[in-house]
Amino acid sequence: MKAIEVNNLSKLYPPNIRAVDDITFSIDLGEIFGLLGPNGAGKTTTLKAITTLGKPSSGTIKAFDIDIIESPQKARQMFGYVPQAVSADGDLTGYENLLIFAKLFYVNKNEREKRINNALKYMGLSDRSQDLVKHYSGGMMRRLEIAQALVNRPKVLFLDEPSIGLDPSSKRQVWEYIKKLNEEFGMTIVITTHDMLEADELCHRIAIMNSGKIAVIDTPHLLKKSIGGDIVSLSLQESGLKLSIPDELGLLIGNDDDRVLISTDNAEIAIPQIIRHFENNGSVVRSVTVNKLTLDDVFMKYARSSLQSQGTIKDNRSVRRSFARRGR
Amino acid sequence: MSRINEFYNFGYSALSIVEMEVRKIRHDSTELWTRGVQPALWLLLFGEVFNRVRDLSIPGYDYIQFLTPGVLAQSVLFIAIFYGITLVWERDVGLLTKLLSTPSPRSSIVVGKALAAGVRGVFQSLMVFTLAVFMGVNLRHNLLNVAGVFVVIILLAMCFSSFSMCLASMLKTREKMMGIGQMITMPLFFGSNAIYPITLMPPWLQSLSKLNPLTYVVDALRALLLTGDYSTIPEDIAFLSLITLVLVILASFSISRLLE
Ligand SMILES: Nc1ncnc2c1ncn2[C@@H]1O[C@H](COP(=O)(O)OP(=O)(O)O)[C@@H](O)[C@H]1O
Ligand SMILES: [Mg+2]
Repeated sequence: MKAIEVNNLSKLYPPNIRAVDDITFSIDLGEIFGLLGPNGAGKTTTLKAITTLGKPSSGTIKAFDIDIIESPQKARQMFGYVPQAVSADGDLTGYENLLIFAKLFYVNKNEREKRINNALKYMGLSDRSQDLVKHYSGGMMRRLEIAQALVNRPKVLFLDEPSIGLDPSSKRQVWEYIKKLNEEFGMTIVITTHDMLEADELCHRIAIMNSGKIAVIDTPHLLKKSIGGDIVSLSLQESGLKLSIPDELGLLIGNDDDRVLISTDNAEIAIPQIIRHFENNGSVVRSVTVNKLTLDDVFMKYARSSLQSQGTIKDNRSVRRSFARRGR
Repeated sequence: MSRINEFYNFGYSALSIVEMEVRKIRHDSTELWTRGVQPALWLLLFGEVFNRVRDLSIPGYDYIQFLTPGVLAQSVLFIAIFYGITLVWERDVGLLTKLLSTPSPRSSIVVGKALAAGVRGVFQSLMVFTLAVFMGVNLRHNLLNVAGVFVVIILLAMCFSSFSMCLASMLKTREKMMGIGQMITMPLFFGSNAIYPITLMPPWLQSLSKLNPLTYVVDALRALLLTGDYSTIPEDIAFLSLITLVLVILASFSISRLLE
């Protein structure tokens, strides 16, 4: 059974905006799934459709085999949702924010206090729980919102742009909490983001979204690999024209005089091995530069190609060549 | 059994929304107190001046006695008619989205918000009562009458706050809400029996004012606070309840439009 199954979902806004255009995907139990795309890609619209906050124009959505369009209340009972805009109530204390939501989620009275206190403690907010939320920092508010969603013990937690507007250190902190939730409780988590780093850091699988369509879905690693991997460029003491390298270290993609270009899955691990290999064969490596692939490159590739065709790029070689050109 | 459960949950959610509001007021009640200024000005300035004009009241009562229930109703109307602005604000900051992402039915959230407006109305009544006591305005305030006033005031607040929530779902911005709110409070107020008896109005306005919920509110309040003639109260309450019910239902359906 899948946690979430979305089939042929479309959403039209009047007059004629196709915010989401016939997308199909599923989310596995226990994974962190990311919808990655630029502003206006349709991520929020998709999330709202799944969380029953916006009616789809067409398509079906199931959560744990329950049709959420038929039984929205049942679906909401299983979900936790943190919207893109900061949604904690500044005029209440942290504790009160959780209390009201526990009530609106019909959390059993005997369990309420315990769950609230656990959620606050878990998100590192116990000592500030009696302060008004308007005095919280941005990072604390986000954590409070996650805590708020946790009182319901959701089966799936939806986070719309969880780190938007946060400073780098609060961002890291929020990421750590999200990972911890997933690792400790096996909670299925769905995030949307326009931040490649965030998607790379958090997600087990990523759907790249652009103009209402999903261009590709895969793990961050395979996505990067599919467009050619990292490029390592070595400069040698003498000409490297005769050199070759074993396949497991990478693929030799450029070789002119004293410069060698190698494409590899994971540059950090490959570099020491490559250097050792060359030095064992009597060439001295003078310097190394690395062009690490980011999801940005992946996005550029897929988002552009998705506008022309929905097919994935099979021809790795040509892609690698284009990256070799970039590597210079 | 599950029907009873649903019913219980509905009430529970609505009361949780009320609790949310009450807790907010407990943290900061400045707004409540400043709301007392307007009725005070009406009574102290308008009331004192027009107290000299005998014909404005109903036989046997000072103008200021006549005016007090009207001013009370008007000030609660003001609170309620702009209540939708809070909803727009809550939408803008994402709070509404989150309220609606809970399993609590949408209608229970609307009813809760309407009741919360009622709580503000009750507080407003207490302020107007106190003011009246200090100004020596002679009102009938035994416990039962006061309780009756609270019921009518809560209905009034629910009626117009639901109306305001419907407006909010259509207008969606604070500025438009302010504009429309101001545009309709005047005719509602002057087209009612709040500051002069209906009998003084030209016939066309008389018939219009019979459709104005505020007229029924003021009528019930005067019966409770002045005359003690309760004969029209059932009709007043029935009319108000009916309108309120319709508006609550409309608001429950339209509130999700705010998320779109
Ligand atoms: N309420 C709405 N009315 C009309 N168009 C909308 C509305 N909400 C979003 N859109 C449009 O739908 C598209 C997708 O928006 P959204 O889902 O918010 O994107 P994202 O979350 O990826 O930034 C955008 O072009 C946006 O302008
Ligand atoms: Mg968005």
